[in-house]
Amino acid sequence: MFEFSLNLSQEIDKNQIFDLIIVGGGPAGLTAGLYAARYKLNVLMIEKSFISGGQLTGIDTIENYPGFAEPVLGSKLAQNMAEQAKSFGLKSINAFVDSLDLQKDIKEVKVGNDIYKAKTILITTGTSSGKLGIKHEDEYVGKGISYCATCDGPMFPDKKVLVIGGGNNAVKEALFIAKYAKEVIIIHSGEKLNAAVSNIDKLKDEQKIKVLLNSSVKAIDFSDLKNKTFEIENSSNNKVETITADGMFIFVGTTPNTSLVEGQLELEKGYIKTDCSLQTNISGVFAAGDVIVKELRQVATAVGDGALVAYKINKYLSNL
Amino acid sequence: MAMLDEKIVSQLKELFKGLDKEVNLKFFTQELECAFCKDTHNLLQEVAASSDKIKLEVFDFQKDKEVAEQYKIDKIPALVVMDEKDRGIRFFGIPSGYEFTSLIESIKLVSTGKLQLKESTKDFLNTVKKPVHLQVFVTPTCPYCPPAVVLAHQMAYYSEYIRADMVEASEFNTLSIKYNVQGVPRTVVNETEFLEGAAPEEYLIEKIKAFL
Ligand SMILES: Cc1cc2nc3c(=O)[nH]c(=O)nc-3n(C[C@H](O)[C@H](O)[C@H](O)COP(=O)(O)OP(=O)(O)OC[C@H]3O[C@@H](n4cnc5c(N)ncnc54)[C@H](O)[C@@H]3O)c2cc1C
Repeated sequence: MFEFSLNLSQEIDKNQIFDLIIVGGGPAGLTAGLYAARYKLNVLMIEKSFISGGQLTGIDTIENYPGFAEPVLGSKLAQNMAEQAKSFGLKSINAFVDSLDLQKDIKEVKVGNDIYKAKTILITTGTSSGKLGIKHEDEYVGKGISYCATCDGPMFPDKKVLVIGGGNNAVKEALFIAKYAKEVIIIHSGEKLNAAVSNIDKLKDEQKIKVLLNSSVKAIDFSDLKNKTFEIENSSNNKVETITADGMFIFVGTTPNTSLVEGQLELEKGYIKTDCSLQTNISGVFAAGDVIVKELRQVATAVGDGALVAYKINKYLSNL
Repeated sequence: MAMLDEKIVSQLKELFKGLDKEVNLKFFTQELECAFCKDTHNLLQEVAASSDKIKLEVFDFQKDKEVAEQYKIDKIPALVVMDEKDRGIRFFGIPSGYEFTSLIESIKLVSTGKLQLKESTKDFLNTVKKPVHLQVFVTPTCPYCPPAVVLAHQMAYYSEYIRADMVEASEFNTLSIKYNVQGVPRTVVNETEFLEGAAPEEYLIEKIKAFL
């Protein structure tokens, strides 16, 4: 019934020059780390969160990652990936990378007062949840607005909750929230949900969930925390309706975590551009996973990228 | 059935080789154990069994009222993690899921005394001369929560005026309602100031400053 997750930082000698430093410990970074450690590269992974696994750590269950016939908990998959990489000798620290100097042959990674050096850098910083962009959104995060169902879903027992978005993430997380809430309304701007049919089918069995299509949240008023109101506009008839609910979970799109490399690497709509070796416009600097320009952002594609990029980095290093 | 799987137990044994001072886990439960009390009790027994430097002492919330009062324990399951001295580190509710890391971090902290606080934070904490009570509300499935708990515990360890509790929000639902916890982590400072999310040290300092 209980899961226990253990993730502790290692102590690292800062004066060495690593073959590879991986920035970001999600599925892409962990897979690249696993492969690189097996190539016996001197590799260090730096992950800002206490817990490696990236977005996986905040997902209830994953059903489409091969090898798990039963749905696997995101936290469990994350832990397995981290342990597997560590078992091959991947070293990692939990720290926020503040800045990168990618121009010279030996690249520098700044973490607080420390500088780590490496011959190659891999950026696997992934994405963060997208914002709705309505007024007061930031102000009420944690006070009724959330981007993480596994974190805050349990805080809404027998409550009424809105879930914004119509993709797989929104539908899956709505199903999770419905374990706690008494009523869940999915609000989606499109005329039909964009989720996989298997996910949509599950909605039919969940009486607590309703779906409002062609609808979007235009404004919120949380000034009375006991009576939060939401203005919902229906684009098919332009009608605006005000409804009350206890909270709102937002799953609309993603924002690439690329502020670290802005001005140094070529970006497209904020995502990092790479060639077919997953190398960026700077030699020796690679990128993989959700953070790069690609069509499908999933765990399976992130780990695929991770494996390939480690192979390419190993080749690059052997030609130096 | 064991709470911890063999892999975690062997990781713990390896990690606890690095422990220095003896660690006392003072656990408060009651005769007819509540569901979470029983599970927490089992968990702590398994943790304590992984190192001879960790001693588990069990108290009855009702019968050992004086001890409970001494450690300001007002609800169970409750855990005090300390060396020979009370460092103000508390856990209310089961430290499962991601909070298991917070528990192990606190054991490491009181045993080795190794802090990760910034120098500027320590300078600030030296000026704190009034009691400060931090309550960090968490859920076990929240990956952003352990940093908030560990920060509060480190501050408590450093300053004798600070007491820091991890509070499992879904187990203590009435408290969550009292403090209007709708997202975690949420840190309550002396009942009236609140901090959302796993914020940097400076943010928590700002909230504490309101009481100095
Ligand atoms: C709600 C939700 C449900 C999902 N469901 C599924 C699903 O069912 N199936 C599926 O295949 N995919 C699913 N996904 C998508 C999947 O999680 C991602 O595609 C995958 O995690 C991408 O991996 P990544 O390693 O590229 O990036 P991420 O997982 O985003 O990892 C990036 C890591 O980099 C770290 N980082 C960022 N900046 C820094 C910095 N400056 N310093 C240090 N570290 C940094 C972050 O903390 C993070 O750990 C879901 C996503 C969400 C949000």
